[in-house]
Amino acid sequence: MSVSAAHNGNVEKRSFNRTSEIGRFAAMVEKELLELLRSFKLLWVPLVFILLGIMQPVSSYFMPIILEQAGNLPEGVIANMPKPQGAEVLAQTLQQFGTLGVLVLALVCMGVVSGERNSGAASLILVKPISLYSYIGSKWTAMLVLTWGSLAAGYLAAWYYTGLLIGSVPFKDIVSSLLIYGLWLTLLVTLTVFFSTMLKSPAGAAFSSIGCIAVFSLLAGIFPKQLGWSPGALSGFAYQAVSASIMKGDYFGWAIVSALAIIAGALAAAVWLLRRSSSVE
Amino acid sequence: MNINNSIDLSQMLSIVLPLIIIQLILMVIALVLCAKAEQTRGPKWMWILIILFGNMFGSIAFFIFGRRNEG
Repeated sequence: MSVSAAHNGNVEKRSFNRTSEIGRFAAMVEKELLELLRSFKLLWVPLVFILLGIMQPVSSYFMPIILEQAGNLPEGVIANMPKPQGAEVLAQTLQQFGTLGVLVLALVCMGVVSGERNSGAASLILVKPISLYSYIGSKWTAMLVLTWGSLAAGYLAAWYYTGLLIGSVPFKDIVSSLLIYGLWLTLLVTLTVFFSTMLKSPAGAAFSSIGCIAVFSLLAGIFPKQLGWSPGALSGFAYQAVSASIMKGDYFGWAIVSALAIIAGALAAAVWLLRRSSSVE
Repeated sequence: MNINNSIDLSQMLSIVLPLIIIQLILMVIALVLCAKAEQTRGPKWMWILIILFGNMFGSIAFFIFGRRNEG
C-alpha cells in the first residue's frame, strides 16, 4: 500500500515536471514569436512570399503583351505561343520560392542562435532552468511558424491569382504540393538553425545551409534513379504533385523519411554542440 | 491576334494594383524602421535611397542587412 502510494507520488511528481517543462517550452516559443513580431519579420517575410507568389501568374499572364511590346519577334510567334497551364505556373511559383524564398528564409534565420550567443543573451537565458532541448526547440518552432505561414500565404495567393488569370487548379493538388514543399523548406530552416549553432558567423550559417540544400537538390537532379530517395528529390515531388501527372514512384515515402531523419539529426546535433560549447566556456 | 491588345488599362490596373500595394506596404515598414533605428549599417540616407529605388529588393536588403543591433 505504502509502496504504491510512494510510486503514485513519484509518478505525479514526474508528470508535474513534464508539464512544467512543456509550460516553459511554450513560454519560450511565445518569447521567440514575440521577437519575430517585434522585428517585423512575421510581417515582411509573408508579404515577400505573397509578392513572389502573385508575380509569377501575373507575369505569365502578361507575357504575350510584354513580348509584343519588345517587338523583336517575327510575325506569328506570339499568336502561336502555347498558353501556360495553371499547374505549370504554380510549379514555376514553387521554383521562385525555391530560389528567392530559400535565400530570404536562410538569411532571416541565420542569426537565430549565433546572434544570441555573440551578444551574450544566450548565456543569460541558459542560466535559467531551461533544457537545451527547449532552447533550440523553441527557436526552431518559431522559425517553422514563420516558414509555413509565409509559404502558405504566398502559395495560396499564387493559387488564387492563377485561378483568376490562367486556369483553375484543384485545391487537393495545392495542399499536397504545399505539404511536400513545406517539408523541404523545413529541412532548410533546420539546417540553418544547426549551422547557426555550429558557426559563430551568421553569414556562414546562411550560406552553409543554402549550400547544403543546393547540393541536395543538385545530386537528386543528376542521379534521379540512384538518389530518388534523398530529401533533395522533395522539391521535384512537389512540382509533380501540383502538375496533375502524379508519378510519385516508389521513392516518395523514402524521401520523406530521409528528410525527417536529417531534420531530427540536425536538431539533436545542434543541442549536442550547444551543450559541449557551453560546458567548455 | 489582337485579343491581347484589347486588355484595357483599368483591367490591367486591377490585376497589378495588389502587387503595388504590397510593395508600398513593405517600403513603408522599411522606411519607418529605418527612421526609428538608432544605428544602421552604413549611412541612413543611403538606406533610404536603396529602399525608395530598390523596389522589393531594397526593402528586403534593409530588413536583413540594415540594422546593426539585430540578430
